[in-house]
Amino acid sequence: MHAPPPPRKPLALVFCDIAGSTRLIAQEGDLVASAVFREFFEHASRLGREHHCLMIKFMGDSFLAVFDNIDDVMPFVVSIECLLSQNPTSVGRLAGFYFSLHYGNVLYIETSYGSDVLGEDVNVVAYLNELAQPHEIVITQAALERMPGDYQARAGASEFRQLKGGGGVEFRRVNLLGS
Amino acid sequence: MAASDTEPMPEVVTEAIVVIDLVESTLTSNLFGWYAVGRQVIRDLRALIGEVGESRGLRCLRSTGDGYLLTFHDPQSAERAALRAVEAVFELLNRVAHRNRQVPEERALNLRCAVHLGEVDIVSNDREGPHISLAFRLEEISRASLPAALNPIPPEQFPLQNYVLCSEEVAGILSRRASPWEMVSIGLLKLKGFPGWREVFRVLPEDHPVDLGRGIRVS
Repeated sequence: MHAPPPPRKPLALVFCDIAGSTRLIAQEGDLVASAVFREFFEHASRLGREHHCLMIKFMGDSFLAVFDNIDDVMPFVVSIECLLSQNPTSVGRLAGFYFSLHYGNVLYIETSYGSDVLGEDVNVVAYLNELAQPHEIVITQAALERMPGDYQARAGASEFRQLKGGGGVEFRRVNLLGS
Repeated sequence: MAASDTEPMPEVVTEAIVVIDLVESTLTSNLFGWYAVGRQVIRDLRALIGEVGESRGLRCLRSTGDGYLLTFHDPQSAERAALRAVEAVFELLNRVAHRNRQVPEERALNLRCAVHLGEVDIVSNDREGPHISLAFRLEEISRASLPAALNPIPPEQFPLQNYVLCSEEVAGILSRRASPWEMVSIGLLKLKGFPGWREVFRVLPEDHPVDLGRGIRVS
C-alpha cells in the first residue's frame, strides 16, 4: 500500500534577507553578528506568531515564512521593518531588509528537522529576493492579485524577470519606508 | 615597491576544479598513527588520482592536508574538461572501492568529491581565485547543510561518503552534453562568501540503482 502523497497547500511565501550582514560581520566580528542575528530571529519568531505566520526556517541572515492568509503578510513585514528603528540591537547595525512575497501551491511536509515547504514556488520567492532593495518588498503578480486593494494601489510599475533555472515572473515593488 | 608589483600577472585559464576530501583522515591518523596508516593512505590516494587523471587532462594536483585539489584542462574545450573531471572522479571511486575490498578496514579510503568549472589563476603547482573557493564550499556541504537549504532532499538521503557533488555550471554541461550520469538537485544553498542562491547537484554513477528519492532530475 502506498502512503498518500504529502498535501499541497496554497500559501503566501515570504522571504526576508538582512541587508549589510557581510559588513556587520567584517566590522564587528562574527560573535557580535551572530548575537544580532539571534536576537533578530527571536523577534521575527515572536512577530510571526502574532501575525499567524509559520516560520519555516532561518538560514544564516535570512528566513522563509509562510501564511495561510495573505492579508497577514504586510502587517508582519511592516513590524519586522520597524525593528530597524525600535530594537536597540538592530539600530545602526542592520542596514535594512530585503523582502519578497509570492503566492503558490507548495508541498507542506514534516521532516527530521521540522516543517518544510517544497516546490518551484519556493525557489521563485528566493530568487526574487535578490531583486529587492533595502526597505522594499518585491511582490509577484500572483501574490499582488490576492492582496488588499491599498497595497495594490501602492505597488510600482510591473516588471518582468527571467529567473535562474525556471520561467519568467512578473512582479512589482512596494516601498516600505513610511508604512 | 611591493614584491607583488614586480610579479607578472598569472595566466588565467578555465579549468574543471575538483576537491577531494578524505573522510575522517585525521581520526584515522590519530587512532592508528600517521606513520603506520595515515601516510600510506594519503599516498595511495595520490597514486590513484595520478592513475585516473593522467589521460584525462589532470594539470594540477595539490595536497590540502586531508585531501587534494585537482584541476583538469582541455585545450580544445573547457566543457570537455568538466566531463573528463567527472569521469576521472567516478573512475577514482571505482578504484577506491576495489582497493577497499583488499585492505584492512583502518586503511580504507572514503572520499567526498566536488566538481566545479571556472576561471582560475595558475600559480606554481597551485590554483587561485573565487572558483577555487567555490569548489571548496561545495565539498563542505553535508547532511547538516540541508535544513538551511531550499527544496532540500531529506538529509537521510544525502550519503556520508563516496559521492560526487557538482555546481550548476557543471550540471549544465553534463546535461547539455548528454553525459551518462544522472543528476539530482540536493537543493538551493547559500555558500559562504558568495552572493545569491546556488543549486547544488549530486552526480550519480552510471550504474546507480533507482533510489533518486524525491530529488529533481536534470533533463
